[in-house]
Amino acid sequence: MNQWTKRAGALAALTVLISGTAACGSSSNNNGGNSNAAANAGNTSATTNDTSTSNSSNTTNNANTSANQPAAEPVKIRFAGWGDPSEKEVFTKLIKSFEEKNPNIKVEYLHIPDDYVGKMNTILAGGDAPDVFYVPDGDFGRWVSQDLLQPIDEYLSTSNIDTSDMWESSLLRYRYDGAVTGKGNLYALPKDIGPTVLYYNKDIFTKMGVPFPSAENPMTFDQLLETAQKLTVKNGDKVTQYGMGPIWWEGFVLGNGGQFLSEDKKEFLLNSKEASDALQFAVDLAHKYNVVPDSRALKAMNDGQMFETGKLAMMIQGRWMVPTYRKLKFDWDVAPLPTNGKWAGWSGSVGLGIYSKSKQKDAAYKLVEYLGGPEGQKEQSLMGFAIPSFKSMASTDVFLQPGQKPEHAEVFIKAAQNEIPGPWTNLPNAKWWDMLNQNLGPMWEAKKPAADLLNELKPKIDAAIKEGNPAIFK
Amino acid sequence: MSNKRKMYIWAYAFISAPILGFLLFAMIPICFSVYVSFTKYSGYHAPELTGADNYVRLLAHDPLFWKTLKNTIYSALSIPFGMMLSLAIAIALNQKIVGIRLFRTAFFLPTISSVVAMTLLWKWIFNADYGLLNIFLGWFGITGPAWLSSEAWAMPAMILQGIWSGLGFNMVLYLAALQGVPRSLYEAAEIDGAGGWQRFVKVTIPCISPTTLYILITSIIGAMQDFPRFQIMTEGGPNYSTTTIVYYLFQNAFRYMEMGYASAMAWMLGILLMTITLLNFWLSRRWVHYE
Repeated sequence: MNQWTKRAGALAALTVLISGTAACGSSSNNNGGNSNAAANAGNTSATTNDTSTSNSSNTTNNANTSANQPAAEPVKIRFAGWGDPSEKEVFTKLIKSFEEKNPNIKVEYLHIPDDYVGKMNTILAGGDAPDVFYVPDGDFGRWVSQDLLQPIDEYLSTSNIDTSDMWESSLLRYRYDGAVTGKGNLYALPKDIGPTVLYYNKDIFTKMGVPFPSAENPMTFDQLLETAQKLTVKNGDKVTQYGMGPIWWEGFVLGNGGQFLSEDKKEFLLNSKEASDALQFAVDLAHKYNVVPDSRALKAMNDGQMFETGKLAMMIQGRWMVPTYRKLKFDWDVAPLPTNGKWAGWSGSVGLGIYSKSKQKDAAYKLVEYLGGPEGQKEQSLMGFAIPSFKSMASTDVFLQPGQKPEHAEVFIKAAQNEIPGPWTNLPNAKWWDMLNQNLGPMWEAKKPAADLLNELKPKIDAAIKEGNPAIFK
Repeated sequence: MSNKRKMYIWAYAFISAPILGFLLFAMIPICFSVYVSFTKYSGYHAPELTGADNYVRLLAHDPLFWKTLKNTIYSALSIPFGMMLSLAIAIALNQKIVGIRLFRTAFFLPTISSVVAMTLLWKWIFNADYGLLNIFLGWFGITGPAWLSSEAWAMPAMILQGIWSGLGFNMVLYLAALQGVPRSLYEAAEIDGAGGWQRFVKVTIPCISPTTLYILITSIIGAMQDFPRFQIMTEGGPNYSTTTIVYYLFQNAFRYMEMGYASAMAWMLGILLMTITLLNFWLSRRWVHYE
């Protein structure tokens, strides 16, 4: 008995020892930043059934062309993304049909449902990232500035994707010139683009006898205020129905002709009159006119819940809400974002990037091309949450989906044409943006005028831009 | 003799596992982080040595570091209040009353519940218009603040929540300590004419002082490293008023990808904690009584 226990214990100790050493091997690789070795190790284990693959693909990496490569040997690539169950289902289906069309490529789909960016950061630091992965536009700058993404211009030039048929702003945000985003080489193909628009509850408008907003011309700020006032219902002091949802102020700044940063991205410009007026207007809607729920009211029920339960007549949202809102019991439609002039605002997007250390770049590009190309875009558009990357496809029934809400789906098309990437995509280091948002509190609580606060903040934020993004000051 | 030696070998084999585990998963990373703290390191590429730059920037050029340090010390105010309260509850739960097991379980429950779930619960309690806390204050004619969105009240709210979440564990420790106080001491004190309060001050407090020291030290370390509940409840805001030092460290490491700078910060915190702990041990000679 005693003897037996000792043996079992020794065995256990030995197991721990061995697994410990094994873990040591890989962990010291990661720590030392010698990620190439780790990537190699990972790759060979991924393709153990065929060791010659990695050799042949090594040579193709430099050639960059897949046409003259006899792609007979099976290749395995990994693909990471997130998304709700419906998106996962669509991508599983797309990958299956991709594998049918490319019998020599096997795709391992890694679905990360939660904290995608956090987990990808860890995976990327480990040096053994998936060959293809989602690149949210807000994180693009950070990843591209760390050489984690492969430029795809050369691949694109030999493929049949027509970039001139794609939304300019959807491509622009995935460009990087070594210092700033928005120009230079292309590093990702858009998976989707989600313009922001004004959603409104048609039932409330009809009930209160207020005419629907135009689908062609944006409301001015004054018109928005007037409309929202008509739609706000008070019971004594308590507002029971708000005319307008919380302001996504970034769109208002753009709508009033303001800018976040200077053209060269070196300077913070939100303290200009156009921008600070727009912010002040957003504050006043909540605090002076009480047509927008303030942070206090929103803590009880968020704007989405308010809209869905008919306590909010209009609200700003992205295209991605369409599948959810199609299940709502009331009638709704969309209109352009309010601006003082022409169409403006920001759109969100997620890109498809290729890992710069991928050993299977040709196969990886094929997958990107398929998912970002016509077939992949068609399937994704049918789900309703995004608009296709191709202008020509956006004006077909694939996207317009007649008979389904919203009635004026073309608002999204015009918005995609006119809206630009959000300010969080502007610089690789996001500290300036975090600092700005942390400091806007007194303004949102109407304790300090927007212009004063932004002027005070300017030197601090200029310093954060400089500190976090030395490359643009070289 | 040889049998004895054999036993030693076995003993070493057994302890080698945790020692090796410690070396690999604690010691090496710790040493690596010392090195990294003197480099510019994004986590993706090899670190570049930059000398003491990170430390200079931290101490001389980053007001946010000092602000978050101040916030962290402020949040540690929950420790004395939490300790007093958990001792009071432990004393109450040390009485022979009906349903004592139920009460003990109830008070311990927060300790075994998930931090995320509890934090989300408190987010509702602190809700300005519909939160239980403000409804309760309303009964006394007090209009409660918008706890979590006010720069002045966000940290007091977090302190309150911190006291509550630490209560159960500390209470159990105190309960065990209270039950370990020898009855004979109380009897002797009673014979000498000591009243209830005197017995508490002269017998109970000294007898449980080792537990008090243990709770004090672990609570300080815990408070200095606290951040998940801040991340969930306030995201560090408004205006960084609830950004604790470890939260700021986390942001630097994983949002701004400045692992070197974050490591320097971790070392400053480590040194501070070490100093406080040593100070605590040194001071404890004056007030902790071991039997």
